Amino acid sequence: MLCERCKIREANIQYTEVINGSRTEHHFCAQCARDLDFGQYSALFDGEFPFAEFLSALLGGETPAKKQEKYQQIVCPTCGMTYEEFVKNSCFGCADCYGVFDVLIHDNIKQIQGSDCHKGKKPLYQNTDGDPEVVPEAGEPAAQASAEEQIRSLERKLRDALRKEEYETAAWCRDRIRDLKEGKTSDV
Amino acid sequence: MSSWYEEIDPERKNIICSKVRLARNWDEYVFPARLSEESAKEMIGRLCEGLKDIDGQLGRRYDIVDLSQLGELKLRTLREKRVLNSSIIKKKGPMAMILSEGEDVSLVFNGMDHIRIQVLKAGFHMQEAWKEASQLDDFVNARFSYAYDEKYGYLTSYPTNVGTGMRAAVIVHLPSLSLGKKFPSLISDMGRFGVSIRGVYGEGRENYGALYEVSNQKTMGQTEPEFVGLVEKVAGQLDEQENQVRMMALKSHRLVREDEIYKSYGVLKYARRLSHKEAMSYLSQLLAGAADGLIRFAEPRSIFQLMLGIQTASLQSLSERPLDKGELDVVRAEYLRKQLPELV
Repeated sequence: MLCERCKIREANIQYTEVINGSRTEHHFCAQCARDLDFGQYSALFDGEFPFAEFLSALLGGETPAKKQEKYQQIVCPTCGMTYEEFVKNSCFGCADCYGVFDVLIHDNIKQIQGSDCHKGKKPLYQNTDGDPEVVPEAGEPAAQASAEEQIRSLERKLRDALRKEEYETAAWCRDRIRDLKEGKTSDV
Repeated sequence: MSSWYEEIDPERKNIICSKVRLARNWDEYVFPARLSEESAKEMIGRLCEGLKDIDGQLGRRYDIVDLSQLGELKLRTLREKRVLNSSIIKKKGPMAMILSEGEDVSLVFNGMDHIRIQVLKAGFHMQEAWKEASQLDDFVNARFSYAYDEKYGYLTSYPTNVGTGMRAAVIVHLPSLSLGKKFPSLISDMGRFGVSIRGVYGEGRENYGALYEVSNQKTMGQTEPEFVGLVEKVAGQLDEQENQVRMMALKSHRLVREDEIYKSYGVLKYARRLSHKEAMSYLSQLLAGAADGLIRFAEPRSIFQLMLGIQTASLQSLSERPLDKGELDVVRAEYLRKQLPELV
């Protein structure tokens, strides 16, 4: 249906007026609705209703102004994303943003996702920089080392190989880990 | 090799296709929104190099496609074939893709996220699509370490994808069910079950072709098989309900339905001009008619393939010069006259 005022654009706002019990229906497009006076509802038509902004409002929380003032200074050191920018675009700049803005976004992610805890698949291979565990001498795992320890050391070796892009070594480690894991389950 | 959309699922004829996509990010780079053009190029180069032994994965052959060099029309054609999504098309900057020969498996690099793995299957094969996507995910992960967090799961650019990073979707054809008065409220109620349903083609409230996409709304809090199961259950239910309504109509009004279907065939076969809306509505009739065995073609032909073929960018790419709306209608009718199979 076309807007009854401009008769050019598609009407996407339906306005029902009830005056002294007589009811009239109007159909306007967003642009015309903005120009008309709807009293207290005018603010609704100040602009379109873009999803990103809606999401941003959700992400920014109920009192965005207040929150923003306090947290505007927070910047992700890795990618330079500020909290303000994040709220505006509803888009993270890097993986570290999740850690930096964690306190601020925790509740909002819960609202969007209905949960704040990932269940399901985990990556098979992952870099874990700054692993505090002591690395045993690679290449000669102690004979009495348990399968679990061997797997752990192989996983570390695998991560190193991946970082250096040595895919052959990585594939060898992966296969070895798989063998060990399968062996372990058959032992039980 | 035939493309995925040429196949028909003989079991669930209202279910057109199943899709699983996984959003992943490499932990060595910042997300695409903050990635400089230089770094993006370097990352894409390293991804393509690291995955050059991908041939043979999932039993397929693959090609590397430089999306930034492809041109708008090609991108839109890929969008219509459901290989790319609309946000990728709007995105600027370096982008590449590894695409299987049958266009059913794709890995897009530096779209909304660093890596977007997608598996498409004709018919109702959600579990297989998930299994294959996960297998390919492991293949990529063996070479590149992902941005992952114990609490939040796979980290993505948008908080709406975080967790599993998975969107499972099914396209169902609901020509009778969607005519019901309660259908719009049914669609909005589905949100409560954690799935969303939206029309595939059409503008505003109108839907041309009665194709609907069912997908999981959330990406966190449940496992991937649980999300897949949810979408599968809802899509399966819709398919059954649609069948019930159609069978009832068939019992009481067989002649009316046959008449509608054959008239649609006649228009599609002989018309000289067909608008997008007209063509989609008649093809929708034909799709339902073929599914119910009311019309039989001399050769098996996927009506959905024809629906893809009559979209604007696909038709435009058949011509060497830009076509206006009126010319498109002529080309569309011509295409359908040629492609529509004969009747038995």
